[in-house]
Order: sequence, then C-alpha cells, then structure tokens
Amino acid sequence: MIEAKNIQKMFTRNVLAEGKKKSSKKSVKEEFYALDGISLQAKAGEIVGILGPNGAGKTTLLRILGMLMQPTAGEVLIRSKEGEYETDPVKVKQNIGYLSGNTKLYHRLSTREMLRMLGEVYGIEKQQCEERIGHIFDVLDMEQFGDNRIEKLSTGQTQRANIARCLIHDPDLYIFDEPTLGLDILSADAIVNFMKGQKELGKTVLYSTHYLEEAQFLCDKIYMIYQGKIVREGSPSDIMQETKTGNLRDAFHVVMDQVKGGDAQ
Amino acid sequence: MSTRKMFALFKRELKDIFRDKKTLIMMIVVPLLLYPLLIIGMTLILNAVNASRMDATYKVAFVGVEEETAAALEAIADDKTRIDYVIERTDADDPGQALKDEEIHAYVTVEQADGQDRYEVHYLSAWDDSVTAADVMMDVLYNYREDVRKERAEQYQLNEKEILYPVTYELADASSAEESVGNYLGMFIPFLVITSICLGAIYPAIDVTAGERERGTLETLLTLPVTNFEMIMSKFLAVSIIASISAVLNICSLGGAFIFMFSFIGGTAAGGMKLEIATFIPAILFMLLVVIFFALFVTAVSMCTCIFAKSFKEANNYVTPVLLLFMFGGYSAMLPDLELTNVTAAIPIINMTMMMKGLFNFEYNYALFGIVLLSNVVYSVLTIMILARLYNSESILFAEGFTNIRIFTKRSEMKKGALAGIGDVVLLLCLVLLVLFYIGSFAAVKWGIYGVMVQQLLILLLPLAYAWYIKSDMKRMFSLRMPKPSAVISAVFLFAGAFLCNLILAGVISVFFRESAQNVEETFAGLFDAPFAVILLITAFLPAVGEELLFRGFTFTAIRQKCRPLTTILLVSALFGLYHMSIVRFVTTAFLGVFLALLVEKSGSIFPGMLFHFLINAAADIISVYEEPMAKYFPILTKESLSIIEVAGILVVGAVCICIGWFFL
Repeated sequence: MIEAKNIQKMFTRNVLAEGKKKSSKKSVKEEFYALDGISLQAKAGEIVGILGPNGAGKTTLLRILGMLMQPTAGEVLIRSKEGEYETDPVKVKQNIGYLSGNTKLYHRLSTREMLRMLGEVYGIEKQQCEERIGHIFDVLDMEQFGDNRIEKLSTGQTQRANIARCLIHDPDLYIFDEPTLGLDILSADAIVNFMKGQKELGKTVLYSTHYLEEAQFLCDKIYMIYQGKIVREGSPSDIMQETKTGNLRDAFHVVMDQVKGGDAQ
Repeated sequence: MSTRKMFALFKRELKDIFRDKKTLIMMIVVPLLLYPLLIIGMTLILNAVNASRMDATYKVAFVGVEEETAAALEAIADDKTRIDYVIERTDADDPGQALKDEEIHAYVTVEQADGQDRYEVHYLSAWDDSVTAADVMMDVLYNYREDVRKERAEQYQLNEKEILYPVTYELADASSAEESVGNYLGMFIPFLVITSICLGAIYPAIDVTAGERERGTLETLLTLPVTNFEMIMSKFLAVSIIASISAVLNICSLGGAFIFMFSFIGGTAAGGMKLEIATFIPAILFMLLVVIFFALFVTAVSMCTCIFAKSFKEANNYVTPVLLLFMFGGYSAMLPDLELTNVTAAIPIINMTMMMKGLFNFEYNYALFGIVLLSNVVYSVLTIMILARLYNSESILFAEGFTNIRIFTKRSEMKKGALAGIGDVVLLLCLVLLVLFYIGSFAAVKWGIYGVMVQQLLILLLPLAYAWYIKSDMKRMFSLRMPKPSAVISAVFLFAGAFLCNLILAGVISVFFRESAQNVEETFAGLFDAPFAVILLITAFLPAVGEELLFRGFTFTAIRQKCRPLTTILLVSALFGLYHMSIVRFVTTAFLGVFLALLVEKSGSIFPGMLFHFLINAAADIISVYEEPMAKYFPILTKESLSIIEVAGILVVGAVCICIGWFFL
C-alpha cells in the first residue's frame, strides 16, 4: 500500500564559525539529517507503529509520508485506489487521512460545516457527502455536538471531530501522529478501536505513539527509529524475542541502550 | 487549478472571517457608526456652540464716544437685519480694568485726528467671548461708517456710487461648483479610501496567514488534496473581497456623513452652491473599479508581510510600517504638482492616488487609467507569485517563525553572545535616521559645529547601545580585532587610490547634477570657521569611528551571517550610500563604501576601515580649509576642468595604489 525507499530529510541551520583564516568570519549552513535513509513498507490491512524518543524524526517522517513535506532524497510510493502508484501529491492526498497534534480544526465552524467543506474539496457529491456525514456521526457518536462550533467542544469531542475529518473521503491509508496523546481512557480507547476497525476493513494505518503497551497489542509491525535512522523493525513478538524481553516497553529500552552504547563507542 | 476546490476553500475562509467578531467590528461597525457619529456629533456640537454665542449678551462700554454716536451704534447693534448678536451697552469707570477682570467683553474708544474719527475696539484675544464681542463691534462700526458715508454724500449732493465706490471688483470663479468641490474632494478622498482599504484588508490578511498558523490549522490545510496556489488564491480572494466591502462601506458612510454635514450647514457655508451630484457618477463608478483593483494589491502586499509572522501580535508589528507606507502614498494627493503621467502611472500606491485625484478633477485620461489598473494587476500577480512561492517553502510553513529582530524578545530571555539579525539592522538604521532627523538637526541648529559633534556621537553610541541591549558579542559584532600591520598599510594605499578615483567620479557626477553638487558644498560652508583640530575631530575622526561601527561593524556582521561576501559588500555599500541621503553623494559614498566593506571582510578588523575613512574625510577637510595653498601645490585637486590626459593620469595612479593596497590585504 505505501512504501518508502531510503528517505532522507535534511534541514539546515545557520551557524557562525571561524573561517580558514582565523580572522575571518564565515556563516556556515550546518546541515543535519532529521531522517537518514529510512525505508519502510505498510500493506493493506496492517497497523504499523513508529516508535522512538522525542526528536527521533517521527513527525518529519509522517509528514513526508503524508506528502506535507518533500524528502531531500528517496521516494514515497503510494498505491492509488485504482491500484497504481501515484506521485502527484494532490492525488495522493486524496487517499490519505492525516492526523497529528498539529492538525487543529477551524474553531469558528461546526463539525458538520467543516465536513461539508471538506466534502467539496475532496470532490464528493453533495448527496453522498450528507450520507457519509450521517454515517460518521453515527459511528463516532457525534450526533449531539455535530452542529456546535468546534471551539465549544471538549478535548475528546474535538479529537473525534478530527478523526471525522480524516474519514470523510474514505481513504485507504491513515497516518496518525500520536493520536491518543493527552486523551482520557474512553476517548483513547475509542480511537484504538477505530484503528482496529479500519484494519478489518482492509485499510492501512501508520501511526506513531509513545504508549508502548498500546502499540504492543495493536501493531502488526513496528519500526523503532532513533536519530533519523531505523534501529529495529519487525512484529512486536519478533522484537521481544530478539531482545529476550517480555513486553515491548522493556524491548524498547534494550534497543535504545544498544544504540546509545553504539554511539558512545 | 481546480476552481471547485478553490471555491470550497474560499467559502470557508469567508465564513471564518465573517464569524470573527473582531473583523466584523473593524469592517462594519467602525465605519458605519464611527464616521457618522464623529461628523454628525461635531456638527451638532459646533451648531450648539454657535447658537449659545448668538443667545449670549455681550457687554460693551463706550469710552469718550459722544452720546449721539453711541446711540447710533446701539441702534445698529439692535437692528436684527444687520447684526445677529445681542450687544448691551454698559458703563465702566475703568474700562481697561473691567475688561481685564472680565466684567465687560470689550470697550470702544475714539479719538479725532486729521478730520477722522478713529475708533478702537479693545478686547482680550485670549477670551473667546471677548473675541466674539470685538468681531461684532467691528461689524457695527463698519455699518456705522457706511451710514455716515451715505449721509455725507447726501449732504454734499454727491453720487454715492461714483465717489465712494469708483472701483469695484470681485472674484469670478470659472470652474463650476462641481469642479471646485471635485478638486477639494480629490485632495483627501484618496487618503481616506486607501486608509480604509488597508484597515479592511490588514485584519483578515493577518487572520488567514499568521492567525491560521497561530491556531494550528495550517497543517490541517496542508493535508488536503489542494495545490499551494489554490490555497493562496482562496485566501487572497476572500481577503480582497472583505477589503473591498470594507472600503465601499467606509466610502458610503463617510459620504453620507459629509452630505449630512453639508445639508446641515449648507445654507450658510456652501453659500448657495448648487451641486449636480450626477456629474460625479462616472467618477464614483470609476472609484469602485479603483477600490477593487487597489484592494487586490493591498491584500497581496499585506499577506506577503504577515506570512513571516508566527503570531497575531508579530504580524501586527510587521504590517504597521506597510500601513504607514500606504497612508503616506495617500497623502501624495495633496502635493500640488504631482499628477498622473506615464511615470507616476506605474508607481504603486502613488498611481492609485493620482488616478483618484484625476477622477475628481474630471480628467479622464483613459490611456493612463489603463496603465494604472494594469500595473496594479501586474504588481498584484507578482506579489501573489511571491506569496505562492513563500507558501511552498517548508521553512515558512513548519518553522516556528522568524526571529530576525532580537530586540523584541524580553531581555532576560536573550542569549548572551548572539549576533544581530537583518531585522535588527533595519530597525537600527531607522532609529539612527530618526535620531539624526529629530535630535541631530535640532542640535546642529542650536549649537552649530558642536551640534554636529552631538550628531556624530549619537551615531557612534546607537549601534553600541543596541548591541549591548541584545547582549551580543561586542568583539564579533563590531569586528574589534587588532589588525595585522599589512592591513593598515593596505588601508593607506587603498585610501590613496580610492581618493584619486573618487575625485574623477565626483567630477563626472557633478556634470550631471550641477546644482545639487553646489548644495553639498554649501551645507558644509559654515563648518570651517572653527579651529582645524576641532574640524578634524568632528568631521573626520568621529564619523570615521561612528559610521564604521554602524555600517562595517553592526550592519556588515548582521548581513554577512545570511549573505555571501560579495552580496554583503554591495548591500552594505548601497546602504551607506543611501544613508547620505543625496543622489550626488550616493555614488561617491557607495564607491568608497565598497573599499571599506572590503577592508573589514578581508582583514576581519574594523580598524583599517576606520583609518581609511578618517583619511578620506581628513583629505576633504584639508582641501576645503587650506584651499589656497592646496590650489598652489596640487592644482589638479581644485581645477574646474581636467584634460583627458590628466584624468587618465589620475586614474592610472589611483589604480596602481589600489593594486598595491589589494596586494597587502
């Protein structure tokens, strides 16, 4: 469904450094790789987890996979609904539901108005769009607050509205950046259940999280990344076996210790 | 581009803006209520004040006026067909004191001389009521004189008109009432229209750019299957429409208020001027066109400015200078000689102002109007293209925003040793200009040459103070390093070469700008009466230190962080040239600026540049002060015109010196 090949993302920052002659100043553009050769794959009907400490490059990776950013090198291949590889970002986005902590909603609209607007942007016919909105409100239990302005909703309600945003165009690929962050147990479970449900429908879910217990029972495959590189990949059970640990949390610690130890040497 | 997608986004932007209370208040409530309230309120208050003036009684004492005359004056004052105000005759023993104590409003004295009765109306100009009383009394006396004249004419059986008014004259205005009103409107309407378009555009422009970023909906927008261009266009169209609506509302409200005012005081002030409103209809229709085209331009510019801001507050800071610039353009309508020409028709802002002015003066030059509207479209398209490119840039979309202006952060949060950014340079140069303009010119007028010293000290202190405030590393910011001896030698040779070449350059320029070159000389004329050491200190040493710190220190280092050496040298030199605020001096100072910037770039130290700068200024001083001996020993320096061979000789020697200097650098 989605395949990334050797993705690199370079950022620059300006640093003033001494030049060749001691007396001259030079503005040096320091380059650093937020992502350094990441390849991954997610098939239809899979939930793939991206794990890693803060600053590892998770958000940048997901932004590139969601076509919000361009990679410096490497390519992202996403199969369209027709089964062909598509490279035009606009057409690719048509088939992705992207959610992150940074995708806030328009406060001055109600959920219903927002979904109608999105329907027009995604090119869904009016009649069909209304049906879809009804269906989504049903599934996410939003009938009660669907016509309130989004600024009046609670955190959990807002997150559900945000999920509804990703659902309106019925994409085949979901990219979620820490979707359960800061939510109460009920709202978080609703989202976990939603992901499971989509998996059963044959959709692909790619998501990053810091909740390792959640990832352990939810994910079919896990990529652990650190400093822009993949340091371990495999199914949760494989990773636990390789690291000889009983749960993913311990496995994560073992992997990170190995990597950091390697760095020190 | 998909119009359907764009339209969907556009509808949302509009909905969003219309649901924002702040925008609505700025857009609808302010124009619809504020102008009428202000203007109607003012009119009503003025009328009320006038009415109370009419009702009041003014006490006037007649001193030494014969009873018969006094009675005649009183009769005139009482005659409602001639005088509107109520004058009451009072007696006062000491009228001067009574007036001072404000017991009476005025008193009239009379004395006789050369067969004339000379009346004097004494009043207090500091007391409004007394002024009114005096005015009324002047009217009364005028009437009285007319009466006396008539009487005398009858007495001597003269033809009153022939003797008393052998000559009459009056102004006959050949322009129609509409034309004169149009001329008047053309002066201030452009300013009001431009301001109202700006006020209407700026708020939503901030809202859709910095506001969107602040609310965090930008990333959501990026997940949608739309191109950046569709995104920008939807925002741009929404803001332009709001700006146009706001401007039209402003114009209507303002127009309504003025019509009210004219009709209220119409009988007296407009002097029975009858206006055919229909004459203005083409102008007004054209105005709508102008408003829409100009709204496009203002919107594009303000969106371009706001896009760099990460928050509403920051965007406000950035956009305020833009607003001032636009308003300044609006003022240009009041300049008498500025008109729509082929040149002004292409200058943004000015062209719109001039077109509006032209419209109200009934000057319909359709070719020029075409250029104006077309150039606005071109500028708008260009700006939108820049905007679309900026919106494509990930550093703008995902970065935390730009923090180029360090002074806006709290001092306690500033990092020690940080260097100033380009924003800081702009701010500092503006500060320097402001300080020079206000404090500097005041000091120069007040204290002469020592005022100039104050000016120079200010230029020296400002960059130091700024750098200290932002806690920058002074050594690096101002390149305060010991120079190598070779750099000092190089500075001397470069000075000699640059000085000679500059001589020729200045000569060439003075051919083109003869008059302004003379002005430059006059500016410095008064300066050279002081002792030579003082002259040297004030015109050579202090500028060398201060301007070097400002330009080759602060400005150079800040720009050098972002730009390559060549770009930095050219940029700093151009700024240095502009700083001297004259076309004539721009070329020569920018030319010298290149050497100065080269010196600091190559040597890494500010001091060789200071030496170079000092030598250049000192040489100029010597030539001016010791004009005669210099002319004797170096006739070439003061010669009016040089032969080709002389020019070539100077240039060759100059070039050799520069090469030697370059070798040592």
